[in-house]
Amino acid sequence: MEYAKIIIESTREIFSSMIMLEVTSGDPFQRGHEKLNNSISGLVGLAGTIKGMLAIHLPDQTAITVTSAFLGMGVEEIDEDVRDAIGELANMVAGNIKSALDPKGSDIKLSMPSAVYGEEYSVDCLAHAQSITVPFELEGKTFLVELQIREEG
Amino acid sequence: MGKTVLIVDDSNTMRKIVSRALRQAGIDFDEILEAGDGQEALAVLADNQVDVVLSDINMPNMNGLEFLKAKAEDPAIKDIPVVMISTETGADIINEAKSYGAKGAVKKPFTPELINATLGPLL
Repeated sequence: MEYAKIIIESTREIFSSMIMLEVTSGDPFQRGHEKLNNSISGLVGLAGTIKGMLAIHLPDQTAITVTSAFLGMGVEEIDEDVRDAIGELANMVAGNIKSALDPKGSDIKLSMPSAVYGEEYSVDCLAHAQSITVPFELEGKTFLVELQIREEG
Repeated sequence: MGKTVLIVDDSNTMRKIVSRALRQAGIDFDEILEAGDGQEALAVLADNQVDVVLSDINMPNMNGLEFLKAKAEDPAIKDIPVVMISTETGADIINEAKSYGAKGAVKKPFTPELINATLGPLL
């Protein structure tokens, strides 16, 4: 299963259709346990025949840029609007990935989105899960879309 | 005369985005109302004349499917058309929504054109 391709197509579609911004993807890699600094992460869990987590990690300034474009209005700091927007972004990317993996929609469930943010934090998910992260560039800034996934049965 | 639409989504961001898409779609709306879940949506429908509802599926307190079922049991509001807007658009869940009375579904992400094409025939 080409998870990187699904991540790239899903993310590009959302940014171009909903946020009207073009993003460029970089080479997929496996992120380790390194900490995220001055960032915000939108998280959505996956359960069912495929278990795992979809996360989008953005530095604060990138999240502010994305949220301002998302809402069509200026945003100054990581506030409730930004947390909500980034959670919703993760929700849509996860939804697209789910549609690609489960067209009928009955084998995979998505959790409600969450947002984690701060000066320094770590995000990790399952042990023994396949992990793939795709970096994207937006107006000179980088963010990451990470999928940790384990197929059951 | 413009219409009144109710947007039901637990994400404030998504409610703003749907509002913007409705305006960009060129649909003549007089008023756009909002609700954060199915319970709130039922309360809004009880107090306002609404012409169409756009509802998410995955919401806390009362999700979109539960909202459809509750709405169908109220003679005063059962005929108001509902279109689902959600990341959940697998065939099984959409068929379930339609069995409870939904008139259609729009997948997130969406464009104003898609919103217009789906809502237009219902207004």
